Amino acid sequence: MSTVILRFAAALYAVAASAYIAYFARPRHRAAATVGFWILFAAFVVHAAAIGVACSEFGGTEFFSVRGGVLLLVWLLTGAYLFLQRYYKLPTVGAFVTPFALVLLIPTLFGTPGRPGVAPETFRHPSVTLHIISAVGGVALFAIAFGVAIMYLLQEREVKGKHFGALFSRLPSLDALDQLTQRLVRAGFVVYTVALIAGTITANAVWKSAWSWDPQQVISLVIWALYGALVQLRHSGWHGRRYAVVTLVGFVLVLSSFVSIRLVPGATKHTGDYGTRQAEISQ
Amino acid sequence: MSCRDLFLVGLSHKSAPIEVRERVALTGDALKAALAELRGIDGVAEAFVVSTCNRVEVYVHGEEIDPARLFFTSRSTEAAGHLYEKGGVEAIRHLFRVAASLDSMVVGEQQILGQVKEAYGLASAAQAAGAYISRLCNRAFATAKRIRTETEIGRGATSMSQVAVELVEKIFGDLRGRAILLVGAGKMGALSAKALTVLGADRILVTNRSPERGLQLAEQVGGAYRAWDELPRLLAEADVVIVSTGAPTYVVTAEMVAHAMKGARRHRSIALIDLAVPRNVDPSCAHLGDVFAYDVDDMQKVVDATHEARRGEALRAEAIVEAEVMAFAKERDARAALPVLAQLRRKAEEIARAEAERTLAHLGGKIDEKGKKSVEAMALAIVNKLLHGPTAKLKSAASSGDGDLPSAAAELFGIENEPPREPRAADEHAVPAASRSAASERS
Repeated sequence: MSTVILRFAAALYAVAASAYIAYFARPRHRAAATVGFWILFAAFVVHAAAIGVACSEFGGTEFFSVRGGVLLLVWLLTGAYLFLQRYYKLPTVGAFVTPFALVLLIPTLFGTPGRPGVAPETFRHPSVTLHIISAVGGVALFAIAFGVAIMYLLQEREVKGKHFGALFSRLPSLDALDQLTQRLVRAGFVVYTVALIAGTITANAVWKSAWSWDPQQVISLVIWALYGALVQLRHSGWHGRRYAVVTLVGFVLVLSSFVSIRLVPGATKHTGDYGTRQAEISQ
Repeated sequence: MSCRDLFLVGLSHKSAPIEVRERVALTGDALKAALAELRGIDGVAEAFVVSTCNRVEVYVHGEEIDPARLFFTSRSTEAAGHLYEKGGVEAIRHLFRVAASLDSMVVGEQQILGQVKEAYGLASAAQAAGAYISRLCNRAFATAKRIRTETEIGRGATSMSQVAVELVEKIFGDLRGRAILLVGAGKMGALSAKALTVLGADRILVTNRSPERGLQLAEQVGGAYRAWDELPRLLAEADVVIVSTGAPTYVVTAEMVAHAMKGARRHRSIALIDLAVPRNVDPSCAHLGDVFAYDVDDMQKVVDATHEARRGEALRAEAIVEAEVMAFAKERDARAALPVLAQLRRKAEEIARAEAERTLAHLGGKIDEKGKKSVEAMALAIVNKLLHGPTAKLKSAASSGDGDLPSAAAELFGIENEPPREPRAADEHAVPAASRSAASERS
């Protein structure tokens, strides 16, 4: 059932993405951006319903899989973008963010949903919920920053290339893109920090150890340090191109590590039974 | 058979040098007086005059072109050799093209539409423009607007300073809280700095090798003068640097810029605009990160690209003009067909009534009231039956814009085919109402 609702949401995402792309291609048609915004909002609501139904169908195990993580990521990404759009009025960003959200969502439409079941008792910990939502929320903000950084690099190439083409007139100014990237990175870093703290608390409670050299822990710390460095470097003159490139690298690292760690069976306790059985055995 | 049409006599940047244009150009009260004068001439029903620095054009809706020609020849003897004259659809097309900025020196420029609107407003206020010119102008304005939204003819930068503005806007968004640095006292530099103030720059710094000229320029552009040897430090302070000195070498070197970027600028973006020939900014600056360097050639290429793009868009615009001109001409012919129809019917009914009266007079008392009515009804019925075919044909000719059939009908039936008397703008609404009633009569 939840997959059916999700497919409907995906269709809405596709319409919203095409509206934003249409606006990007023909900026004269301002209405396209407005249509895109409200359809994206509808997609966000339907997606929320899909997540809610999935929770009642699978009893919470939904979010302990790659599929569930991506679902949550797309949802939070959309929410963050909608919020952003309200305050920054940069509809051209939509042409980069909505197709990206759609592409992320597509594999989840065909995968088999998680086994029904209730999350293990040990996971009924408020820090787990906080950990999942803040981790995915932080990544969602990094994802938008990634899109904006790409826009920055494209626009920079246009400006340096000395021919004022179609992209030149459609993309916002370098300064606006740079500042937006910076704010997104900063906000993402704060949310991601919350995730690490909540994760440490959870690990301490479930795995009985705050730090266990789990690959996900290691890579998360690297990512945290990278974005933290970006936040700090801003004050010592990191701007423009270099900033955009590091933002790109950071997000590629986030996405590739998330997927690759889970492709190697048993590499991390952030998958399968989440190390709970082991913890129970040792108890 | 007298027939009114639109006539145009004019000269523009394409046909006449500025010396001739400025001799016939009119503004304000002189233009009002000229409109009143035109309007006073016999055979001129309506008139309006477009007078800008690039063109002077007199449009006359009347019986002949001479009054429009006289406008020029009476003002300047030299004008005669530079005039172009157009009538009918040609004149309509010309006005539409002018309003849509297709005939402008810089095709697609925005100002001309406002200027034509102003010219129409003036003519209208002076009661020189009536219903015909009102319809004509409104159609021309609508066409221009359509072209602006449906084509990209107004897009792009058409001058160096506009390129500078677009460029800076795409780098910084706006210039609030930022500084512009003017290096050297070249005229182009001052112009570009002025143009950039639209982006809200609140600080202009000026530096020049000779302090006197520098101070003078600083005062002129409302900036602050800084000593010439401060230049390396100023590069850290200003975000947009416009260079136009007479120096034969690089005034702004790559080392200077690299040093500023690494040092006090902390890699904040900088725009270097080199307006000097020979160049004053080392072109290798462009390879530095977050440095955006443009020279005269780069900017000229952007201007050329705009013109190139506009030429392409102009073709699409011409097609729109053509469609609109044809639609307008068709409507105009339709209006010409309706009076013929009305007159034909009026004449036929007059004859029918007169004949019925004569018949009744012959019969005298031998016929009762009811019989009289029948005779009158019969006469009118014959008229209706007889005119039914021609009425339908004329109406379809009117709606298809065929102007030949109405004139042929007029000649055949011996009617004066005079276009409807165009009332002045005040009773403009009377026209459609009157022609509508004429058309709907017994249809």
